[in-house]
Amino acid sequence: MIRFENVSKIYDPNIMGLEDVNIHIDRGEFCFLVGHSGSGKSTFIRLLLKEFEPSEGTITVAGRNLQRMRRSAMPYHRRNLGCVFQDFKLLPNKTVADNVAYALRVTGQPARAIRRKVPEILNLVGLGDKMNNLPDELSAGEQQRVSVARAFVNHPSLLVADEPTGNLDPDTSVGIMQLLYRINRTGTTVLMATHDREMVDKMRKRVIALEDGKVIRDEDKGLYR
Amino acid sequence: MNFKFFFHEAFNSLVRNWVMSMAAIVTVLVSMFVLGLGLIIFFNFQHAISDLRNKLEVEVFIKNTASPDEINGLGDQIRAMPEVKDVNFVSKDEALDRLRGSLKGHEDVLDALSGNPLPPSYEITLQDPSKIEEVASRFYDNPIVDNSPNTHDGVKTGGETSDRVLRVTTIFLIGGAGFVMLLTVASVLLISNTTRLSIFARRREVEIMRLVGATNWFIRWPFVLEGVFTGMVGALAASMLVIIANRFIIEGVVNKMPFLPFNAEAVPMFWLVLLVVIGGTLLGSVGSGLALRRFLKI
Repeated sequence: MIRFENVSKIYDPNIMGLEDVNIHIDRGEFCFLVGHSGSGKSTFIRLLLKEFEPSEGTITVAGRNLQRMRRSAMPYHRRNLGCVFQDFKLLPNKTVADNVAYALRVTGQPARAIRRKVPEILNLVGLGDKMNNLPDELSAGEQQRVSVARAFVNHPSLLVADEPTGNLDPDTSVGIMQLLYRINRTGTTVLMATHDREMVDKMRKRVIALEDGKVIRDEDKGLYR
Repeated sequence: MNFKFFFHEAFNSLVRNWVMSMAAIVTVLVSMFVLGLGLIIFFNFQHAISDLRNKLEVEVFIKNTASPDEINGLGDQIRAMPEVKDVNFVSKDEALDRLRGSLKGHEDVLDALSGNPLPPSYEITLQDPSKIEEVASRFYDNPIVDNSPNTHDGVKTGGETSDRVLRVTTIFLIGGAGFVMLLTVASVLLISNTTRLSIFARRREVEIMRLVGATNWFIRWPFVLEGVFTGMVGALAASMLVIIANRFIIEGVVNKMPFLPFNAEAVPMFWLVLLVVIGGTLLGSVGSGLALRRFLKI
């Protein structure tokens, strides 16, 4: 699903974002990316989203080489890749339903399908009764649920979450984690960057640890440590 | 396509940023109004010039030595020309009376004259004013016409006057066109700036849209439509003002000063309004297009 081969990212002047990273993540895996701030987690995720190019090496996502992908193909790459962020990144002027619908609209889905799918997914994340609220009117945990719903509504093959529980209290975090776990069970590959020690230790999934841009540990059923 | 959605988005954004929208609308309004006003004045001058041209005539001055038979013969000759609409003979006495009339209050100047030095003349009006030089040239070599040796100053056309009017009008028109151009550039820049601010205010939104896989045009369309709306609303308001201006100002001027050759009917209003509306809409789309090209690098 995801393959990093000898990937380095050098920010000028000579600041290493990532250094010679080799990672392979299979379809359907649930994988944590852990490390301190500045260890390279965000660089890893932004490379996946093709927000910028690596200085060296090749990145393959779902069989497609990101370096060879044309700019015009990027929107299609991103539709196949759901994203959840620490700051939710919801459109503030749109209702919960419209936020989720936007992800469907960009793919050119007919209005009827949108009207059917949006309530479906919002019920799934437990927000069926808040469809017409604006994001501001929701709690942080609820906003993150909306963001997860939006990321998953197109049924992407890969879901990337960058510190999704970073702004949430422990109980709410558990709810989000359960949601991501359920999504993973449908066959979607989930990659989650986090420094939520408790969560990682409880889940016992694959853990990739980064430090100073290098992979220092990669183990199945790992712990945060 | 998702045009219903795009319209909805554009409209919402217009309403949400109504202060900026109003600023842009007013800019389009002003520049399109000035364009319309300039065109109204242009058409009125056109009307005035063609009016003047229709009144142009050929004056043929006859030597004092010509006999009445020769004079009548020339008159018949002129009447026989197909281009001639009307011929008027001005005798020596009539010419003096006219001169006296135009010297009102200073008639004593004429006392210095011994006898009547003014030549008799024919005033010729033509069917088609553009033939004026052609008709005039026929009298250049006529022996009874009062030409000084080797010239044809015995034949006068109003051409010089109308040429002068035309020159003044042309200068006026170029100046006006320059002014309108300047205003057009100003409003394109303002709309582009409005769109830029609108993009800037929503850069986070744009980033999110990109993130969920919106194509460039999916993001751009609402902004483009916003610009088009802005231009169109401004232009519609401007055409309303132009119509009002034409009705009340020009007609007012004509009523107060009927000697001015202005005429509210001289303006092809339908085309003018169409031009203003299309112009304003174009301004809006070009303005927002410029901003998109420069500031919405996706």
